[in-house]
Amino acid sequence: MSYLEIKNLEISFPTPKGKYIAVRDINLSIQKGEIISIIGHSGCGKSTIMNAIGGMLTPTGGSVELASEKIKGPGPDRGIVFQNYSLLPWLTVEENIFQAVDSVMNISKKEKHEIVIQNLKMVNLFEHKDKLPGQLSGGMKQRVAIARAFAINPGVLLLDEPFGALDALTKGSMQLEVLKLWNLNNREKTIVMITHDIEEALFLSDRIVVLNNGPASTIREIVEVNLPRPRNKIEIVKMPEYIALRDRLLHLLTDKFSIEDMGMVYKS
Amino acid sequence: MSDKDTLTLSDITGQAEVLTSETIKDSVKSEKLKLIISQFGTKLKSTVLAGIGVLIFIGFWSLLSSYTKDALPGPLATFTVLKEMLSDPFYDYGPNDKGIGLQLFNSIKTVLSGFLLGSLIAIPIGILMGASTICKQIFYPIVQLLKPVSPLAWFPIGLVVFKDTGMATIFIVFITSLWSTLINTSFGVASIPQDHKNVAKAFGFSKMRYLTKILIPYSLPHIITGLRLSISVAWLVIVAGEMLSGGAGIGFFVWDSWNALSLEKVISAIIIIGIVGLLFDKLFTFIESKVAYKA
Repeated sequence: MSYLEIKNLEISFPTPKGKYIAVRDINLSIQKGEIISIIGHSGCGKSTIMNAIGGMLTPTGGSVELASEKIKGPGPDRGIVFQNYSLLPWLTVEENIFQAVDSVMNISKKEKHEIVIQNLKMVNLFEHKDKLPGQLSGGMKQRVAIARAFAINPGVLLLDEPFGALDALTKGSMQLEVLKLWNLNNREKTIVMITHDIEEALFLSDRIVVLNNGPASTIREIVEVNLPRPRNKIEIVKMPEYIALRDRLLHLLTDKFSIEDMGMVYKS
Repeated sequence: MSDKDTLTLSDITGQAEVLTSETIKDSVKSEKLKLIISQFGTKLKSTVLAGIGVLIFIGFWSLLSSYTKDALPGPLATFTVLKEMLSDPFYDYGPNDKGIGLQLFNSIKTVLSGFLLGSLIAIPIGILMGASTICKQIFYPIVQLLKPVSPLAWFPIGLVVFKDTGMATIFIVFITSLWSTLINTSFGVASIPQDHKNVAKAFGFSKMRYLTKILIPYSLPHIITGLRLSISVAWLVIVAGEMLSGGAGIGFFVWDSWNALSLEKVISAIIIIGIVGLLFDKLFTFIESKVAYKA
């Protein structure tokens, strides 16, 4: 039995036109300490699966189990990093993290503050602890969000398109930041990440779950990424395995979008 | 263009060498000075323009006054009376002859009492209406029905219930203060973004933590806007209310002066009412700016 087990997951939403099935027949076994990316086109139900693991959504069919226990709602065993940071703009950086720690953990106030400080230092934001989120750049905000998710010390980290809104350079350093935190935790944290960036998925993941297009999307293929760690961004792109994997993913994600499929006709 | 106007590379590097810390400090100083001067300039400009507006107004007033052959007192006559009123604002020669300061104090006291009571009721109900659809469905029809009613129509109800004109005046201010606060609060609470709710959900916030760390901070700017609108209307209503209730207050003063045919006093009172209303508005605008946050 694996650590995080998704069995025959189906999630549908009632609409005025009837039942809308977002995802179905999702089966996925994730080991402790694995980094999994879920990749697919917009609207294919990536976030839906994520929300089911996070407990923000209740499955309409099948189940999600964490350490052999069925997930019934959000819990401190899962830390979520939202796509748009979701910091509370009226609280300082420190307070944003403290409120999460204070809400979830059953320890003394002093210990809580120590955890907050330790996590702020981990993402190099200690000097900015008294700033409000509005005074931070996008990358810094996302680091606060990551520190907040790590601070509650969850077994599973859920990253919902964490770097989608960042520029390419910041994105690169944030990916390293996540790997650094994962290493600092002895690679014991399980990370499930949504992305639509093939290179990001290849750089970070152990396995990449490719989804079909929605509605009613299913898993198209699970691609194993057997690249050695630690991975060097400049080195791995030259590896033949990397190139083969990238081509495979590109093929899986783009074959439906050839010119013929889009009904284009060229006239001379 | 002469040779002097063209900067060569050596010119630039030469200048850079001259830029010692001393000259940098000087340039920072002069930058700051420039900023202060330009800020002062903008302030001065807006003050001058506002002054022009006032002058135009006084011009029209004088015209109207001479057109009515001084039945409507002109600016000069009015300001003489206003000065006299303000020179001894707190005299008290019995129930029908009190200084303008005392009258004003009375009105402000009434407005604040009614406004405070109204806000104490409106904010919690507004929060409930914004947070729960059921509460909204219960209260919103009543709000819609009663909101358009002129607050003065409540005066007889107040008289019957409290058997006291002072209390009845507070009662109409109370009713007046409810609606804007209620509607703005409920709107603020109802518009809390899903993102913030997700944070509360994901990190298992208790009801109390959600209330104090998300709901109230998010809706506070909306609530203050509601309070600002409420107190503006309350200040409008108090004049009419005191004309009905009589006895004391700035509204009573206006009516009493009209009966004594002292239009100078009426106009002076209008000016004072305007200034106090403006100050209330400024106060709440200031609080609004204090509770605003940058997303």
